[in-house]
Amino acid sequence: MARAGTNLRTSYLESNEVLRRPYQKLLIVLVFAAALILPFTSSDYFLHLVNLCFLACIGALGLMILTGFCGQISLGHAAFLAIGAFTTVVLTVHAKMPFLLVVPAAAVSGAVVGFLVGLPSLRFRGVYLAISTLAMHYAIVFLCTSYQANFGTSASAGITIADPVIGSLRLSGEHAWYCFLLVLLTLVTVGCVNLVRTRPGRAWMAIRDRDIAAEALGINLTRYKLAAFMLSAMLASVSGSLAAYYSNVVTVEGYTLDLAVIYVAMIIVGGMGSVLGGLLGAIFITLLPYAIDSVFELLPRAWRFGSTVFGVQVGAVGLCIILFLLFEPKGLAEIWRRTETYFDRWPFRYRPLDSTRR
Amino acid sequence: MTGNPLLQVRQLEVVYNRVATAIQGVSLDVPEGEIVALVGTNGAGKTTTLRAISGFLPSEDVAITDGLITLRGESINGRIPHQLAKAGIILVPERDKVFATLSVQDNLAFAAREDGAMTVDRVYGYFPRLRERSSQLAGYLSGGEKQMLAIGMALLCRPTLLLIDELSLGLAPIAIKELMERLREISRELRLTVLLVEQNAKAALSIADRGYVMESGRIVFSGKADELLLHPDVREFYLGGAGQADSKSYRDIKQYRRKRRWWS
Amino acid sequence: MEFVATVVILTCTYALLASGIAILYKAGRVVNFAHGEIAIVGGYVFYSSGLMAGGSPWFAVIGAVVFSVITGAFIYVAMMRRVVGEPFYVAILITVGIAIVLKAAIIVIWRAEQVTIDVGVAPAIRLAGGATLSYMDIASIVLTIAFFVVLHLFFTFTRLGVQFRGTAENALLASQRGVNVNLVLSLAWMIAVAAATLSGVLYGGRAFLGSASVSIGLAGLTAALVGGLDSLRGAVVGAFIVALAQYLTVRLIDPVLSEALPFLILLVVMSVRPWGLFGTVEELDRV
Repeated sequence: MARAGTNLRTSYLESNEVLRRPYQKLLIVLVFAAALILPFTSSDYFLHLVNLCFLACIGALGLMILTGFCGQISLGHAAFLAIGAFTTVVLTVHAKMPFLLVVPAAAVSGAVVGFLVGLPSLRFRGVYLAISTLAMHYAIVFLCTSYQANFGTSASAGITIADPVIGSLRLSGEHAWYCFLLVLLTLVTVGCVNLVRTRPGRAWMAIRDRDIAAEALGINLTRYKLAAFMLSAMLASVSGSLAAYYSNVVTVEGYTLDLAVIYVAMIIVGGMGSVLGGLLGAIFITLLPYAIDSVFELLPRAWRFGSTVFGVQVGAVGLCIILFLLFEPKGLAEIWRRTETYFDRWPFRYRPLDSTRR
Repeated sequence: MTGNPLLQVRQLEVVYNRVATAIQGVSLDVPEGEIVALVGTNGAGKTTTLRAISGFLPSEDVAITDGLITLRGESINGRIPHQLAKAGIILVPERDKVFATLSVQDNLAFAAREDGAMTVDRVYGYFPRLRERSSQLAGYLSGGEKQMLAIGMALLCRPTLLLIDELSLGLAPIAIKELMERLREISRELRLTVLLVEQNAKAALSIADRGYVMESGRIVFSGKADELLLHPDVREFYLGGAGQADSKSYRDIKQYRRKRRWWS
Repeated sequence: MEFVATVVILTCTYALLASGIAILYKAGRVVNFAHGEIAIVGGYVFYSSGLMAGGSPWFAVIGAVVFSVITGAFIYVAMMRRVVGEPFYVAILITVGIAIVLKAAIIVIWRAEQVTIDVGVAPAIRLAGGATLSYMDIASIVLTIAFFVVLHLFFTFTRLGVQFRGTAENALLASQRGVNVNLVLSLAWMIAVAAATLSGVLYGGRAFLGSASVSIGLAGLTAALVGGLDSLRGAVVGAFIVALAQYLTVRLIDPVLSEALPFLILLVVMSVRPWGLFGTVEELDRV
């Protein structure tokens, strides 16, 4: 019986479908089922890790859209996270606003900052754009440092924030956060997937591939580049704000250039240009230091200097960036796609036509 | 065919980006000491043939998927350009044939070998105009001067086989004539073997000993140059065709009367 | 006078870094974000080699040279050579990865201890205005000047230098004229790493080597960008501008701002003249 391959589409509507084959729909159902059972069967520590992954996923999706889809290299992601965290601090401490208003407000402030950081992208490309985002990072971090310094004597260890309260519910403890973040991440992911497969996504990808040609096709570069920056900053800001609530403390020392590079590592490892890649990359990089820790636990005591473990954790991220760029430039998402296609085409062999891989 | 074949190409096939076959089944012989012309229209695969002989850089996504190239009997498939340059195969490319940011003197110094029988002075002898411009940046030279500089650089590399891609591109007819003549003189004097790729078939065949005609990635004609110059099909398709003045309308021209399927 | 001395020495440090970045950009169109880390690791290698030999400076020099050769060749052959055809950000992100790995090496191998490179000679010269210049400082300035002079002579007059410049412009043509492009580019990396190592050693002598010292890399990058990414002359000028501005900021405005300052300078320069002061005017999308 003849069977259509994964690439056969007979209408535009079909080509826009997200889940094409029955097994993919089944997979999504299974993933959600697992996600629903998880809080009842896991320890607090495990849920903590999962929550960290969720927070990272939201931020990583922001960077994925900006760099992976729109092609604007940005080293300023840590600054956007900081904006979210510090907006939260300002609004909860000084204005005493409730959680459900603060997070959207953080999104708005992120959008504003994203707009400003995005302005150089209208003039520069490539390395120069990356450098200008780097400059913005330092500027924003400087502002936050000044704020924290003026906050008061207790601020040297960081500014504390109380747990968020929604109506009569207090959002504290891993289980509550898990539910909240799961719902939020699902909404964000669905939103991103839809954005990416419709006009904005196509416009961004056109800009990424050759922005002069995109402009010639009638794509308004200003609008889409700034939109990408704003959306990216918004998601990062929301992630930063929620992270602030989650850990109950905010300190500017946490928002270093290294953090921005870690997010870049997430999208490289995950695979630039796919939402799935953003999620996979965020999970991989977030769990990496814990995995290394576990490996060190197995080794004899003598190897376990605190600084050595920390150094290896730091170095592992760099190594991942290098190894993935050299050997698997399309990331974990590509590994997934290759597996899918292998089984799909079996017994025919799968031979990638992509000209950038030999 | 008098001389021993210096270069032999048999059934060469080159594929770009793993999907686009640029040339297929290309076979040619370049006898020692002769000038061989390879002519054809745009996109026929002539440059690809030359590039395959002179070597691709590993970073380019192109592969020789079939065929054999031998230099004096020794296979040279798939070597990188600088190894082939050391073996005496020098290519003068179509574009970017000189270093635009270096002066003329520096360009020649780049190519000069210490053990040279060919010296920079001798090159200036062949192309006196270059001596006048020796401290000028190569990017500011005229088209003809750039071409002379490119050939001069190639000569300094002590070639046994000189491959030239589109010598006449962008040059005025009189410049082409002078350059071609100069090339023939140099080749006779140094007993240099030349494989000349040209869209300007008349100019190329006028100085060549043998010729090959390429079309859509295959060789469709070969023979002595003066025979090719007289061949009716070659004249019609590549040389502006004599006899077309006699015909009354376009329908009389052979081109429109049959499909151009050379190998059927 | 103290002011002049400090600015001059800081300029030397940044100029060495910026020149390495300029060489790498010219040769391979790669912006090396790992240059600061390479400099500091090089400094540490110098220090450790000297220590291993019981304080002998010659051994330290040998160690630094070996480090430069091996690291430069390795980075090119194992990594940069493989990503030649790919989009520009791949090479840059690989250098970012290298920076992280080197930072980790500082933590793991040297425990990120802050060390000072002490050649063991007390401050020897008093200048007018009460500044002191140690022999180390004088050596720094002399070495930097010597480095630039040698480099200039090399590129302008030697055959290998001309081959360098040609390969930097058009690697394919150079290869077709018999130049082993891999060798030339490896050499470019070795020279750049050597310059960075020298810079790290000088910085370690004047200030200290530690995890935080890697910030000189970004200052060096800024100096290179201000002066023009492919210009050696620009490297020196840019280094001077950044060094001067940093010194003035620390003294007159706010020390905290000094880390961010190079980028503010950069933003100003880039809005006015994106290719830097001496850089070749080119389409920006080539970077």
